[in-house]
Amino acid sequence: MSDKADVWQGTLALMVLKTLEALGPLHGYGIARRIEQTSGGLLSINYGTLYPALLKLEQEGYISSEWGASDNNRKAKFYKLTRAGRKQLTKETREWERTTAILARFFAPLEES
Amino acid sequence: MHVRQVRAWFVRVSSLFGRARRERELAEELESHIQMHVEDNLRAGMSLEEARRQALVKLGGVAQTTEAWRRQRGLPLIETLVNDFRYGLRRLTKSPAFTFIAVLSLALGIGANTAIFSLVNTAFLRPLPVERPEQIVSVTNTAGSRGFPAFSYPNFKDFRERSRDVFEDLYAYRFSPLNVSHDGTSERLWGYVVTGNYFEVLGVKAAIGRTLTPDDDRLPGGHPVTVLSYEGWRRRFGGDPAVVGKSLIVNGRSFTVVGVMPQGFYGTEIIAAPELWFPVAMQAEIEVGNSWLDKRRVENLLIQGRLKPGISPEQAQMTLNAIALQLEREFPEDNEGKRVILSSPGFISGMMRGAVIGFTGLLMVVVAFVLLLACINLANLLLARAAERRREIAVRLALGASRFRLVQQLMAESMLLAVASGACGLLLAYWLIDLAVRLKPPVDVPLAINLHLDYRVMVFTCAVSLATGLLFGLLPAWQATKVDLLPALKDESSSGVLQRSWWKSGLIVLQVALSLVLLVGGGLMLRALQRAQSLDLGFNPKNAVEVSFDLRLQGYEQARGREFQKRLLERVRALPGVQHAGFVDLAPVDLHFSRDSVFIEGQMPERESRAPRAMVSRASHGYFQALGTRLVQGRDFTERDDEKSQPVAIVNETFARHFWPGEDPLGKRFRQGGTEMPLLEVVGVVEDGKYAGLNEAPQPYVVRPLAQAYTGANTLIIRTDRDPRELLATVRNEVRLLDPHLPSSAKLLEERLAMPLLPVRVAASLLGSFGLLALALAAIGIYGIMSYAVSRRTREIGIRMALGAQASHVLRLTIRQGMAPVLFGVAIGLAAALGLTRLAKNLLFGVSAADPLTYVGVAALLTGVALLACYVPARRASKVDPLVALRNE
Repeated sequence: MSDKADVWQGTLALMVLKTLEALGPLHGYGIARRIEQTSGGLLSINYGTLYPALLKLEQEGYISSEWGASDNNRKAKFYKLTRAGRKQLTKETREWERTTAILARFFAPLEES
Repeated sequence: MHVRQVRAWFVRVSSLFGRARRERELAEELESHIQMHVEDNLRAGMSLEEARRQALVKLGGVAQTTEAWRRQRGLPLIETLVNDFRYGLRRLTKSPAFTFIAVLSLALGIGANTAIFSLVNTAFLRPLPVERPEQIVSVTNTAGSRGFPAFSYPNFKDFRERSRDVFEDLYAYRFSPLNVSHDGTSERLWGYVVTGNYFEVLGVKAAIGRTLTPDDDRLPGGHPVTVLSYEGWRRRFGGDPAVVGKSLIVNGRSFTVVGVMPQGFYGTEIIAAPELWFPVAMQAEIEVGNSWLDKRRVENLLIQGRLKPGISPEQAQMTLNAIALQLEREFPEDNEGKRVILSSPGFISGMMRGAVIGFTGLLMVVVAFVLLLACINLANLLLARAAERRREIAVRLALGASRFRLVQQLMAESMLLAVASGACGLLLAYWLIDLAVRLKPPVDVPLAINLHLDYRVMVFTCAVSLATGLLFGLLPAWQATKVDLLPALKDESSSGVLQRSWWKSGLIVLQVALSLVLLVGGGLMLRALQRAQSLDLGFNPKNAVEVSFDLRLQGYEQARGREFQKRLLERVRALPGVQHAGFVDLAPVDLHFSRDSVFIEGQMPERESRAPRAMVSRASHGYFQALGTRLVQGRDFTERDDEKSQPVAIVNETFARHFWPGEDPLGKRFRQGGTEMPLLEVVGVVEDGKYAGLNEAPQPYVVRPLAQAYTGANTLIIRTDRDPRELLATVRNEVRLLDPHLPSSAKLLEERLAMPLLPVRVAASLLGSFGLLALALAAIGIYGIMSYAVSRRTREIGIRMALGAQASHVLRLTIRQGMAPVLFGVAIGLAAALGLTRLAKNLLFGVSAADPLTYVGVAALLTGVALLACYVPARRASKVDPLVALRNE
């Protein structure tokens, strides 16, 4: 169970980083909505699972947080990518692409060699 | 680990602090999250209620989110630990009496262990304060004269020259008694006479000035220089930085200070720290009138050396023994049968090693016993405390708490106790060590033991504290969590009667047995001290004083010395209250007593070195009367026994019986010290006595008249019919009147017995005090267990009394149950003591190791105390009001 959770956490973290890169500073609710929208409703998560993930990224120094005001002037905590986070994102993206490429080859229809 | 992960851990550890603020922030963050979601939902057309419900469902619950977030934020394991410790601390502060007793008894145990370990540390673990100490070895002469493992200077030089391929170098040193005058005060102290390469080979530098060098050791008598120890410099020169070039009068001759050694350098022996070092070339000036640099027979230098890298002590020992064989061939008369062994340095060439190991070993065993007792005691008390929580523990177990988790919580409390006790114990040890260093034992050697708490001692204390915490905590915690759930939940005692759990009784048995063994040991030592008072010493130590000085050290040559002795004797004999007075070179009982070979006329041995030996001393007329030794036959020395008359001697009964069995010893003749020595005629026989130790078997003993065998090392014995204390100052003053610069020491003759009795006194006080401590611990333990048992049985007792049991019956019943394990423990303890005390046989002066008085006395004392410890709770039991007890559920 914990293995699955780790994988999920890892992907979730990558999605968070990517979201912050695309949209700039954003609060937790915004990140959650964005991830859901981007997945085209295929991914339905408990928004609550986002908060431990955000905390972990912050502990690792990939993102930083700051209190600010939301669009409709509500007090909210905004997260933003740090320089280390940006670097991590590039690295993770590359790795992700490599992994998916490898997996894609496995699942591609067999070719006659 | 990855840098980022390290960072994350760091953040998590630091997040253990300031938790409240961060939780508040999370709550706010989640609140705003929900608000935003609700607003969005409202915009999508939901009712307010529905909007809120949907937002919460989507979040997955505030509490669940917070819990997941908490797990990520901190270190759950540590947080539980912190919580456990907090809880433990709260519980301990709630019962201060228990905490006080627990910490006190454990701290005593840990403190005693730490103090004794610092002794072990100094003696065996701490290296000598020199460069690369692991290369230094002591060379022991297995057949040194007088049993001292030393070598002669000529032999040392040969060993040194011929062992260059295994040793970087050998050096030698010797302790010398000194009369040091400086700034108008004179003092007797000890210094080292060392070979010129001593400091060089050790690789130690001076703190001020320079050390001695080989150049200071070239010409006999030509280098009057000395190096001071740090302590000597502080004491004698007040730490004067410009001390180099100043002079000291040592044994009547001026020596120039060339340097001061750094603090912490105490020479090459652990228990004999010198204040001054001199080049061995000055030997004849320091040991006035006794020059031995060219004498192969005179063995008084201790040798140590630095092994070459890669050479093992075994190889070096083989090489040295090959050299010893050569030397035996070259000088058969002086070196017959002499072999060497190598040992680790610091114990006077291995001579003291056995004694030190024995002594510290005994102490370690005793203090470990006491600590074990304290642990057992505490385990008992903790068990009782845990039992109070039986129901709570059962509830938690029933609700699914893991047993491990509960044990962890119970252990937190005992670890807290252990840590607190460790800290207190360390303080106690610090104080004990301070006391021990200041307490000077009555020995006339430069005893200076460098005890202090260094990191090894600290590590030891920590380890012991934690180990005890585990020891006394784990068992009760394990036991307490082994609960029979159903009856416990129903709050029934698992058995209506006294819980006779085998191991609780077992603990009492063990405790009682251990304290009994210690107390019997202490008691036997006390009996031995008592016996020593009535031991036949061969002299009367009461009503006499002695005053000692060494004329040789003050530069007296023979004629002046004889004159001084004569005048002092006359003056002292004329003092009021003085009955008898006489000189001797060494008065009994003294470890320094030496034996010399004797050659009985008509009983020549095949070889000089095979001659029988006897204790020897030199005395003036009147000595035996002053000492209170009975003349059995013949006469005392008189004024007429001088250099010009027939050499005479007085022997003791054993000597006479041994060499002339069945014959009249008077008029018989023998030589002492060598076949070339003059024949001595026996003129008197004195009763046997103790000479070197109180335990020795009767020894043959020879006394020669001081007038015929002069020595400047004197002890004057004076017998008085008044209070001898009054005489001390008067006698010292008489010496000062004759020579104001001569250092002398005066004391009661009885004080002589302090040294031979020291081991027994130390053993008596240590075993006695630890035994009493153990007894106190046992009493606390018994009391604790009994009160607990009574409180558990209140209801049962109430029922019994309601059914008509008498108070006295309840009292008897309770006491009987409490005393059963005590009596069992006494029996086991008596048997163990009988076995163990046999080991201390030679400390007992003939008191039987099975001395009935001691055994009965100690057993009675212990039983009495245990009875008292049982009685108090038992009385409480008999006062139980049945109505209250039955309602009390």
